[in-house]
Amino acid sequence: MKINESSIAQKESITVELFYNSIVDRFKIRLLNERVGFDRLIKDPNLHRPGLPLAGFLELFSYSRVQVFGNTEMRYLLNLSLEERTKSLENIFKYDIPCLIISNEHEPTPEMLELGNKYKIPIFGSAFSTTKAIFLISDFLDDQFAPRLSVHGSLVDVYGVGMLFIGKSGIGKSEVALDLVERGHRLVADDVVIITKKGEGILMGAGTELVKHFMELRGIGIIDIRSMFGIRAIRFQKRIEVVIELEVWDEKNEYTRTGLDNSTTAIMDVEIPYVKLPIIPGKNITVVSEIIALNYLLKHYGYDAAKVLQDRITSKIRQKNEEMNRAVDYFEHDFE
Amino acid sequence: MIEHKIKIVNNAGLHTRPAANIVKLASKYKCEFFLIKDGLNINGKSIIGVMTLAAEKGSEITLVFDGVDEELAANEIVDYFNRGFDE
Repeated sequence: MKINESSIAQKESITVELFYNSIVDRFKIRLLNERVGFDRLIKDPNLHRPGLPLAGFLELFSYSRVQVFGNTEMRYLLNLSLEERTKSLENIFKYDIPCLIISNEHEPTPEMLELGNKYKIPIFGSAFSTTKAIFLISDFLDDQFAPRLSVHGSLVDVYGVGMLFIGKSGIGKSEVALDLVERGHRLVADDVVIITKKGEGILMGAGTELVKHFMELRGIGIIDIRSMFGIRAIRFQKRIEVVIELEVWDEKNEYTRTGLDNSTTAIMDVEIPYVKLPIIPGKNITVVSEIIALNYLLKHYGYDAAKVLQDRITSKIRQKNEEMNRAVDYFEHDFE
Repeated sequence: MIEHKIKIVNNAGLHTRPAANIVKLASKYKCEFFLIKDGLNINGKSIIGVMTLAAEKGSEITLVFDGVDEELAANEIVDYFNRGFDE
């Protein structure tokens, strides 16, 4: 089963209002001028420090980005006469800039606020240093503009490994997730998992705001994992590290036996380790899932069991030892 | 694969009862059934999924049917949407 990627969604813009409401408390932001221009759109996740445009060089001015005034910009402006300063600011305020952020708790000059009101450009102040403000705001905007995809599956944190279970309806994804929760692992989302691509190689999974940790069990109905098992049983988001596809055992299909061939699957161009698990009588999928998680951790910390055994066999073959050796050659007085 | 664009016509929108009925209808058929709205791609055989859409009156949803009995499934389910979930 391929994950259907036809519905990857990506925001093209966010309003300054959403931007402000989301970061106002988080990043110590306050509005400095009047509440104007909140319907302006931010269309670019990058930020811009308009040093050169303030100095009069307006070619290639990235005006569509959020503009950040740090120490340099403010010191430059304060060194100008009132008339020069107004002209310099008006030059960039004429452009369609979404909003302006003054970092480091610098005080805006009165004509700056007036121009903001006149051109309907919101001016925000931040108590954070410029570097920190830029880092935090960039991260927020990157997340807002990141590509998103909704998939049908269950996401569980197993020993700290984010495991995404996929497979046909009714195969038992929710039951496996519930079993894992019962064994002390944490549910992120069931049925609908929203995957956000962060940076170049990270996929974050979360549930939807509406249903969060609700789950449907066939024959029982809807249950709420958070109320039932408490806070220890859930988490809001988790990086997806392994994809497990459950399917009915098909003898024509080949399943990996050694684990030497690390198969992966691509979700939004990110390669993720992938395991196809056949469901057969007597196979405890929950325990097998835990083993997959532990094996992933071992590999992550540098121990690959399949490789170690392979190396051992290779060196044994090289020694040309013809005898079949026991695990312990001679262990004295062990009659148990 | 069959695609249908439909509009929610009943006043209460796609709430719990119709969601349960849609899933029940879809489960009768072998074909896969997806609902797409605002970038959310939902498996139509999962009740939590269908409720996640929280589709209000007037909202547009794309229904996708894919599989051996897609036509039969499409006929019955599209009809159920167009009847406003019999409300």
